[in-house]
Amino acid sequence: MRRFSRTWVVIAAFILVGGSAFGSGFSIFEQGAKATGMGGAFAATADDPSAIFYNNEFIGDPNDAFSSGARGFYKHHTFVPPNAYAVVPLGGNLTFGVGLMTPYGLRTDWDNPWIGRASSRDANIKVVSVEPALAWQSSSGVFAVGGGVEYRRGRVILTSNVLEKNPFNGRISDVAGNFLSSSWKSGTTWNAGVLFKPGTWRIGAAYRGDMDLKFDGDLTVTQIPTGIAPFDALVKAGLPPNQGVKTTIPFPAVASIGIATTAIPNWDFELDVTNTTWSRFKSLTVNGNTSGVLISRAENWKDTNSYRLGANHMVNPTWDVRFGVLYDENPQPVEAVSPLLPDADREGATFGVGYHKGPFIIDATEFVLHFKRRSTNGTSSDLNGTYKTDANLVSLNLGYRF
Amino acid sequence: MRNNSFARIAAVVLLAFAVAVPSFAARGAADFTRFVAIGDSISAGFGAGSLNERHQVFSPPAIIAQQVGIALCTPAASATDNCFALPLISFPGLPRGEIVLGVSSTGALAPVVVPGAGAPEMAGFGRPYNNLAVPGFTVGAALTLTGAEAFSGLGQVVLRGLGSEIDQAIKLNPTFVMVWLGANDVLGSVSLGDPSTLPSTAAFTQQYGAVLAKLVAGAPNAGMVVGTLPTDFRSLPLTSTLPPVVFDSNFQPVLAGGNPIPLIFLPAGSTTPAPVPTGSVVLLSALPKIQTGVGMPPQLKAVPPFSALPNVGTPLTDADVITPTELTTFQTRVAEFNAAITAAASANNIPIVDIKGFYDRIASSFTTPIIVGPFSFNRAFATGGLFAMDGTHFSDIGYILFANEYIKAINAAYGTHIPLASITKAFQNNDPDTAKAVGITMTPEVAAQMISIFNSVTTTAPPPPARRRSVH
Repeated sequence: MRRFSRTWVVIAAFILVGGSAFGSGFSIFEQGAKATGMGGAFAATADDPSAIFYNNEFIGDPNDAFSSGARGFYKHHTFVPPNAYAVVPLGGNLTFGVGLMTPYGLRTDWDNPWIGRASSRDANIKVVSVEPALAWQSSSGVFAVGGGVEYRRGRVILTSNVLEKNPFNGRISDVAGNFLSSSWKSGTTWNAGVLFKPGTWRIGAAYRGDMDLKFDGDLTVTQIPTGIAPFDALVKAGLPPNQGVKTTIPFPAVASIGIATTAIPNWDFELDVTNTTWSRFKSLTVNGNTSGVLISRAENWKDTNSYRLGANHMVNPTWDVRFGVLYDENPQPVEAVSPLLPDADREGATFGVGYHKGPFIIDATEFVLHFKRRSTNGTSSDLNGTYKTDANLVSLNLGYRF
Repeated sequence: MRNNSFARIAAVVLLAFAVAVPSFAARGAADFTRFVAIGDSISAGFGAGSLNERHQVFSPPAIIAQQVGIALCTPAASATDNCFALPLISFPGLPRGEIVLGVSSTGALAPVVVPGAGAPEMAGFGRPYNNLAVPGFTVGAALTLTGAEAFSGLGQVVLRGLGSEIDQAIKLNPTFVMVWLGANDVLGSVSLGDPSTLPSTAAFTQQYGAVLAKLVAGAPNAGMVVGTLPTDFRSLPLTSTLPPVVFDSNFQPVLAGGNPIPLIFLPAGSTTPAPVPTGSVVLLSALPKIQTGVGMPPQLKAVPPFSALPNVGTPLTDADVITPTELTTFQTRVAEFNAAITAAASANNIPIVDIKGFYDRIASSFTTPIIVGPFSFNRAFATGGLFAMDGTHFSDIGYILFANEYIKAINAAYGTHIPLASITKAFQNNDPDTAKAVGITMTPEVAAQMISIFNSVTTTAPPPPARRRSVH
């Protein structure tokens, strides 16, 4: 009976999170840190990172007459992506589940004083999804298939400074702050998965559809006085007015395949590969209703793969320990590495423990993610240097099995 | 065994040699323990019409010193302090107040002179300054003038009668010497619009050779670096802003019947005004005169809006104009000077900075802007960001970029990794959120001072660039 129940949870969770985006770009690293801890989505319950901590450092390029000598850091934020799900057996071979997810999200909030403030001070993409899904399992338990709909809501907030050459004092002055804030916009897509379980093996595949979210919002321009009256008057005359803005953020499709085995008693081993169609993200363009193109950045991202390998060891009937490693390609060509989102190839390691007794499940995972140093190699049009990032994801999940 | 170790040691030594010695065997080493600069107004960090501490700290030698980790001396420093000493002069500077962009009494934006004068702040400093560059000095002046001469201008402040630039540099027992000399041998004549005052190539070659020979003899182990001279007249707002024809407020030609109207001038030795030849340079310093009608042909006296100008029909002087013939003479001569600099430096294994190339890039910066980070610079007067309000000397940003040319050459020649200086040193950082940033913060006091300057302007005409070669 316990076995049966667990299977249902696994399948539902798989449908809900198996195809979720992983890591690179502006994905949230993992829908299920425990899944990573165990090496994949298939055997995972749908636990998620409870909190994410970033450490980021920018180091200016010593051969660049702008960024040389500069350093920059993210403000310290603790990200708490909302995540919850419920799974309800419908009787027969059907199960219904609904999840509240945070498949994407990004915040690069630079701590001033910050040299790249003309490019970005704070970039914030917030996303939350609701995902109802239905799963069917063959009576033998060998085959399962499921699918669902994802309703996604998001908003974008971008903050930067305008700097100008100031002929009155021969300086470069901060003359204005730009605050771009969209309203919440929504879209829908679909996801599906299959799972095949011959003997002690599990083989599965999952897919999550792509989506464009079209945002509209407002640009608020706030003049920053320089203290030089004639210059400030010229600036005031030249600044764009507050106005409505529009932008579109493309989100990728995500496809995963994986294989797992329980051939060794008390051990699960898993390997999976995920492909994300980040090549949909060609450019970031923000159009103002009055001023035309306000921001236009070529992005030209590439599709990426990520690879995960993990193990779950059942120490005794109530305790599990989990280990995992992962490698995640970044989608950004070097020219697109910017303060807005300095991405890099990532390598990570996880350690987790699980406790289950009766209907209760408790999982805790520590996930350390190291971004490789990413240099713009002198190719950036606004800020050359090297970004060093590390992230730390801590998960604590409480579950109750009905 | 013995032979074997000898061979190993020899191999290691050879390897070290191969790795450490750059392809160009630059003399001495990039040891900045005692870093000394000789030169002219550019090396001194001269601003528009004025040498003062606001720009002296941006002088290329001061920038380089900071990039190699040497602090600038404060006015309270003593001779034994290991700091880079500048002959600091309080704002608004000497020999007169700085020219800044301001608001004239008529309410128009115009170059205005900050009233008053500054004073030397380190006159009693107990050793020669590390930056011995004197505005206005030619190569010959750097060799001979000691600052004791009444006509040595700012040399009195920088050299204090203690010896020539070269002699004082050697007194400091320098480990590294930066040289940029020769611009005034040319620029003085340019300001006068008269190539006949140029030194001969033979004289320049002899004097430049003498400077390097004296430095090499006096500081045989010091590293050194020199730079070439600009040859392109389009590289300075002084010589490239005004067209040789009647122009509007945007310096664009006014057309009559589809054709531009040549300005008129009085050629040297002539008493009859003549049209300024096509291809001539009209110096920016003539602008105030032209704004009163000077240089405009007499037939415009009856044509509005020129009829409102009092001096229409009065010709410009020969000094206001550099004709194509004179331009050719200048350019040929400066090319010969550069050949002399290159020959003298090469003979002494002294690396050469391609400052000519730097000015060439500035000359073409209207078509190919100089991009630094997110900022774009060009040679435009006042708004281009590279030049001070005299159209001749660099802005602080221009000085930083000039210093970086030296740093790149030093790195290439000596195999060093001195980081380039950032133009963020010239940020105002007026945003309260960013006021903590590295660089200059405009304090409320300074801001108030700037505003009071703009509000109390009495001088409306931009003063012409100095005509005396000894005092820029």
